[in-house]
Amino acid sequence: MTGGLEGSSGETVLLPEAPALSMLYLNAAATAARRRFSGTRPDGALPAARHELRDVTADVDKLTAFQHLLGESAGDHLPAGFIHALAFPVAMSVLNRDDFPLPLLGMIHLENHVEQYRAVHFSEAMAITAWVENLRGHRAGSLVDLVAEVRGNDGSLLWRGVSAYLAKGFFLPGVDKNGGRSGRDDALFSPPDPTAVWNLGVETGRNYAGVSGDFNPIHLSVLSAKALGLKRSIAHGMYLASRALAEVGPVRSDAFSWDVNFEAPVFLPARVALEINTARGESGQWSRSDFTGWNPRSGRRHFTGTVAALP
Amino acid sequence: MPEAALPSEENQAKDARQHAAVRKAVVIGGNRIPFARSGGAYTRSSNQDMLTAALDGLIARFGLQGERIGEVAAGAVLKHSRDFNLTREAVLGSALAPETPAYDLQQACATGLETVLGLSNKIKLGQIDSAVAGGVDSASDAPIAVSEGLREVLLDLNRAKTLPARLKVLSRLRPKDIAPDAPGTGEPRTGLSMGEHQALTTAQWKISREAQDELAYNSHRNLAAAYDRGFFDDLVTPYRGLNRDSNLRPDTSMEKLATLKPVFGRNLGTEATMTAGNSTPLTDGAATVLLGTEEWADERGLPKLAVVVDGEAAAVDFVHGKDGLLMAPAFAVPRLLARNGLTLEDIDFFEIHEAFAGTVLSTLAAWEDEEFGRERLGLEGAFGSIDRSKLNVNGSSLAAGHPFAATGGRIVASLAKMLHERGSVDGRPARGLISICAAGGQGVVAILEAYTTAEGAQA
Repeated sequence: MTGGLEGSSGETVLLPEAPALSMLYLNAAATAARRRFSGTRPDGALPAARHELRDVTADVDKLTAFQHLLGESAGDHLPAGFIHALAFPVAMSVLNRDDFPLPLLGMIHLENHVEQYRAVHFSEAMAITAWVENLRGHRAGSLVDLVAEVRGNDGSLLWRGVSAYLAKGFFLPGVDKNGGRSGRDDALFSPPDPTAVWNLGVETGRNYAGVSGDFNPIHLSVLSAKALGLKRSIAHGMYLASRALAEVGPVRSDAFSWDVNFEAPVFLPARVALEINTARGESGQWSRSDFTGWNPRSGRRHFTGTVAALP
Repeated sequence: MPEAALPSEENQAKDARQHAAVRKAVVIGGNRIPFARSGGAYTRSSNQDMLTAALDGLIARFGLQGERIGEVAAGAVLKHSRDFNLTREAVLGSALAPETPAYDLQQACATGLETVLGLSNKIKLGQIDSAVAGGVDSASDAPIAVSEGLREVLLDLNRAKTLPARLKVLSRLRPKDIAPDAPGTGEPRTGLSMGEHQALTTAQWKISREAQDELAYNSHRNLAAAYDRGFFDDLVTPYRGLNRDSNLRPDTSMEKLATLKPVFGRNLGTEATMTAGNSTPLTDGAATVLLGTEEWADERGLPKLAVVVDGEAAAVDFVHGKDGLLMAPAFAVPRLLARNGLTLEDIDFFEIHEAFAGTVLSTLAAWEDEEFGRERLGLEGAFGSIDRSKLNVNGSSLAAGHPFAATGGRIVASLAKMLHERGSVDGRPARGLISICAAGGQGVVAILEAYTTAEGAQA
């Protein structure tokens, strides 16, 4: 399906419509099989093409369902995580290109950085552009940044997201596997007192797939996750990050940055303990909220993150 | 003994002295979302969603981000049991300081007005300096309960300790227990719907079909005109794509209203006159009102539109047919005006909630009736009649719709703005009367006055 999308270096490929994620995952499986069968391995270069989808507007029923599931107030403005979900199919279509060197299936979302510059009303038309950059080595494989930018009709930047993905055990020629970061802080984590506990049922992944459109099989059921080598299904990282953002609450105002680092995956069903720690400036205004999620039984950390006022 | 035992002159004087000792509760402004017919634009929005949306619009309009308000009170009539802290949850989801306390109130359709009166009293007494009153209702997202049979089984199941005990409990379950209990609009004690109750009253007071249609027509015409001249620009915040109340029919006419078939009172001995056009539809929406002391408003440079002068609640014995279900305001208003030394002639704006056109007209008919005045109100004769050109001049519930608990906030904010625009009348502050009937045979009424400075000049 990406046959018509082979933009040459630096070219912007205009997508005619939002790519169906189910087709992208199917195509990714086919590409993986083809590469295994033919033994071909792409070289280490990332495609330079950018994929763009214009005139994107939110479906208001989906918006409400997203807000209800994530615990956001169901107002008329789009949660930052909802914009991520709108941009996600465009971003995935870049990873699905034939000339993208890493296998899409099984890639692990390690970090996410978002900057939201102003509130976006659900009726606003948006243009979404996505590309990949910054391929680098990691002790466990190769890391790549997936960048998405969302602009308004006047061309102003509304939202920018950078997602770092790890292709575990996949070492590309010409990329230094010891380069880049050597992994996260492995110092022993001592859990703080939780400020909240989430009880996540097995349906958590299916529910989030329903509101975000991300039907990656590793989130849907025990069986589909097992097929991809996991013992059980896991919660979407962006579900956890969006819920933490919702719990930070309206204090974040309209413009903010939102960072999250994913560590141990959350196998469903699960209880996740959460701590949110708020820092204020000298005059008492909110400056940032740091959040941490962990498994209250094992003490393993699932994620850390920060929501902060933009400078 | 007449129900409306009026205070003596001596008591009135004492009341006046007491009033002078308390602070003023000022209406600073209001915000609501457009009201939507049920099953429309707000079908997926919960009460909490809509109340938060109305609250956030109020916060944005008056710059209350991060502000700790003295207290927020609101409520809903159709309320899920999980929403026991509906108002507090809406506050937590809003941009108000999380240290803002809140409580829920429930008095059927009088909920919104009662939150205004209760919070105003706290302001007057010096307990709080600022408050947000409001209400919300969703007929689309209404709660559905499990049947009594299933509920009892589930509760016993939870208490059963062993597997055999649980199985024994489960064996009591019958197929009919699976059917849910949908919310009803009937009065629990009479089994009659509100519309059927009103049909009895409408027939009792011999209110004609044409008079009801005319009231409905005026409501639509007045509301449309108010929107057209921008009256609601600083009272309403769009939500979910809606900019105006979706029930509003600017192009309706007496002819169109006359074509509608009666829906209530079809089995009474008289002609059925109540149609979907002269009854309010089920509606979704939310409304909020910002209240404060004069000082609190001045410190923030906020407007002072009107003063909450006084309020009165009444109830009638509708169960055994002594009075109509929605006739309590017919008793509350005479008591309230007497306590304040006022008559109907002293009122510049009448805001009589249009649950049904027949409700408004039956109330007015009762006030004009000699016998009712003498025997029920304890007066010399009829209570009086009102100048119809002062009634619901910017439209009311027949046009805007009526999300039960939201109606009080809608009326208070609109009336406060109307009073502010009018300023003074004959050297005294313009004065408005609000009358809201409610299920259970209750009614809450209130007097608001334009806020004017001590010199009598408009603030």
